[in-house]
Amino acid sequence: MGINEATTYEPKILAFCCNWCTYTGADLAGLNRMKYPANVRVVRVPCSGRVNPQFILRAFARGADGVMVCGCHPGDCHYTTGNYFTRRRFMLMKKVLEFNGIEPQRFHARWISGSEAAKFRDAVTEVAQVVKALGPAATKVTTQASSKAPASADIESSVQKEGAL
Amino acid sequence: MNYTEKTKLIQTRAAALLEAGEVSYVLGWGATRFADKTRARFARSPEEAATLVYNEHCTQSLAKYLVDDRWPETRIAILARGCESRAINRMIRDNQIRRENLLILGLPCEGTDAERCRSCRAHDPVVYDELLWEPNSTGAAAAAELSRYYRADAVDALSAAEKKAYWDDVYARCIRCYACRNACPVCSCRECFVDMHRTGFQGKRHSATDNQTFGVTRAFHVGDRCIECGECERACPMGLPILAQTQKILKEIEALAGDYEQGLDAAQDNYLGAFDLDDKDDFM
Amino acid sequence: MDNKTITITKDDLATAIRALLPAYNVYAPAGEGERLAFAALDESRLGAINLTGSPVIPPKELLFPRSESLYTLDPETGAATVPEIAESTLIFGVRPCDLRGIENLDAAFLEKGYVDSNYAKRRENTTIIALACVTSPYETCFCESMGGDPLAAKGADVLLTETKAGDAFTAAFQTPKGLQVKLLWDSLAMDCGSAPAMTEGSKPAMTEGSKPAMTGQHNTLRVTKPDDLPQRLMAAFDDPHWAVLSEACLGCGTCSYVCPTCYCFDIDRESGAKEITEYRCWDCCMFSDYSRMAGGHNPRPTKKERLRNRYLHKLAYFDERYGMTLCVGCGRCIAKCPASLDITEVIEWGGGAL
Repeated sequence: MGINEATTYEPKILAFCCNWCTYTGADLAGLNRMKYPANVRVVRVPCSGRVNPQFILRAFARGADGVMVCGCHPGDCHYTTGNYFTRRRFMLMKKVLEFNGIEPQRFHARWISGSEAAKFRDAVTEVAQVVKALGPAATKVTTQASSKAPASADIESSVQKEGAL
Repeated sequence: MNYTEKTKLIQTRAAALLEAGEVSYVLGWGATRFADKTRARFARSPEEAATLVYNEHCTQSLAKYLVDDRWPETRIAILARGCESRAINRMIRDNQIRRENLLILGLPCEGTDAERCRSCRAHDPVVYDELLWEPNSTGAAAAAELSRYYRADAVDALSAAEKKAYWDDVYARCIRCYACRNACPVCSCRECFVDMHRTGFQGKRHSATDNQTFGVTRAFHVGDRCIECGECERACPMGLPILAQTQKILKEIEALAGDYEQGLDAAQDNYLGAFDLDDKDDFM
Repeated sequence: MDNKTITITKDDLATAIRALLPAYNVYAPAGEGERLAFAALDESRLGAINLTGSPVIPPKELLFPRSESLYTLDPETGAATVPEIAESTLIFGVRPCDLRGIENLDAAFLEKGYVDSNYAKRRENTTIIALACVTSPYETCFCESMGGDPLAAKGADVLLTETKAGDAFTAAFQTPKGLQVKLLWDSLAMDCGSAPAMTEGSKPAMTEGSKPAMTGQHNTLRVTKPDDLPQRLMAAFDDPHWAVLSEACLGCGTCSYVCPTCYCFDIDRESGAKEITEYRCWDCCMFSDYSRMAGGHNPRPTKKERLRNRYLHKLAYFDERYGMTLCVGCGRCIAKCPASLDITEVIEWGGGAL
């Protein structure tokens, strides 16, 4: 074990990309042989409006360290208004994540059009750096190695708080 | 007017409605063998109307029972305080129930034993066909004992690490009985995502992270339609601060869009069901 | 069997439990109010022990966890890992009704030809120190009406009873496992001989039929339950009154999850690229997906059928198969039901008393 985990750690980043803009932009980045970190896994969705906030939570629970939602610029949506709903939804979602003790820097939303290959590259590079600096997310569901201690028995060991909480 | 007189008024009116065949049943509260517990009572005859009770132990909001009977043959009479009436408005807006199927007997309320009543901002019904007694002199928006976002404010005051510890503790205690969901008047999906088998939305395994995924998803589904009745918390057998999640969403919506309160009338849009071309995207 | 008892003063309770920590994974009710739960104890948590109430989640979760991994698979190699079951666990402060609940689970998991290996192993490895209920922990307790005795726990390894003065517990050692505990406590009495930590008495422990001298305030809730309740309820299967009984039900799982005898579970799988986990978790017959068949048909489509099934399982089906009622009268479901449903009304209605 001589290798320090901190130096070998590579975050897993899940990027939901809309079919019409960002996915095409990512494709263009590839065609132009742009280099960007290999940490990102792209999931193509018909529209950024398809992305349910639960996808984000689920991604974190399944081991993602960072999540991106990318779609067309406002006004450019293939379905006219899809990304306007996205905008409201994830504006709130970011606050809710922070409220729930999940670092908001693990979640990013971007408008990236089909011609903005460089913007895609830059966004992915930036997110990979930010998330790498944060380290592994604490949200992954871990398999209980031993079923010795059932859930509520562990609970009491965490901080106890009083009052309105 | 004391509770005995109010109970009498309710019984009399319910009996008259049932006698006249105007409604198929009157949805109210009945006694149990425990003095401090009441239970939803569906009075179907004038005799049963005499078993309705009304007191400070009527902690449960009755509105959710309306979705059990979406297509009644005759109208349903429901006893509605502030919380029930706001739920009815929101449920009508969500196309869960129809106004013409309801005869709403409004009960201006002074709060009950339940914790949820301490932050109530609508003691008087906001929609009704008739009021059974005089509204509160303080008006519908009587000053609540607790501030509107008291639970969310308390969590917001914590540091990032404390928030994490706080929710880890809360969701480790969650038993995923779904009482919060089933009691919530705006949780109206025909099939809940947690009941969808093998869709991958939500595993049945109990872990703090899985429970939090359920809790946050539910909050997000209902947050912008939440009428702040607090039934979720009242129903929770583990005493968890469930309102904190929806209060946070309402608080943020209010910060973004100005005054925002749901259930005040049956035509209100919910925030996430609409958009504005000028919405901010400074979170990007 | 050694019938000697030991008296432990309340001040020495922490010392007595500390003596068990090296030998067992000790669980005891700890925390205040809604946080009261069976918690894993260590030195730092001894002060949090709280024997005044009965936790909402019964001790069944220590034998039948809310969620347990059955095995994990490495999808590349196909190698399976089966989690180990903890050796020597001790549950301290189990109420007599909850102990009867565990006896019900024993029947369900160990009898009739099928032995649930995980449950069997946990049960085998677990020592139970019961705590007699001098006062009913819930206003809704009705164990006496269900044939229970709040002061006796025959199946417990050790039974603690609060003394009349209320400042100490008398411990009766009822099984070989209990005597193991006594050995630990005996050595303790020798170690700290200075303090009157334990005093040995030669009074015979409670024997069947004899109750200790002190009697407490017991169940205020009395329920009339005829012996032929299962038959009566089965005869009332199609009674329209089930619809009335269930109309206030919200269809949540609270009653099942707080019940010391509900043992339904589901087995499912979480598949990942690096690991596949087969797990078992609590399930509840009040949920719509519980009885749903593969094709989507649900033989128990509404809350009426689900509630009837739950009550009949408690009060009739289990009795038919195992000869005991699956309700021990702990009162938790009545105390915690968000719609204030009350199983005692079903017992009395079914028994013809209403």
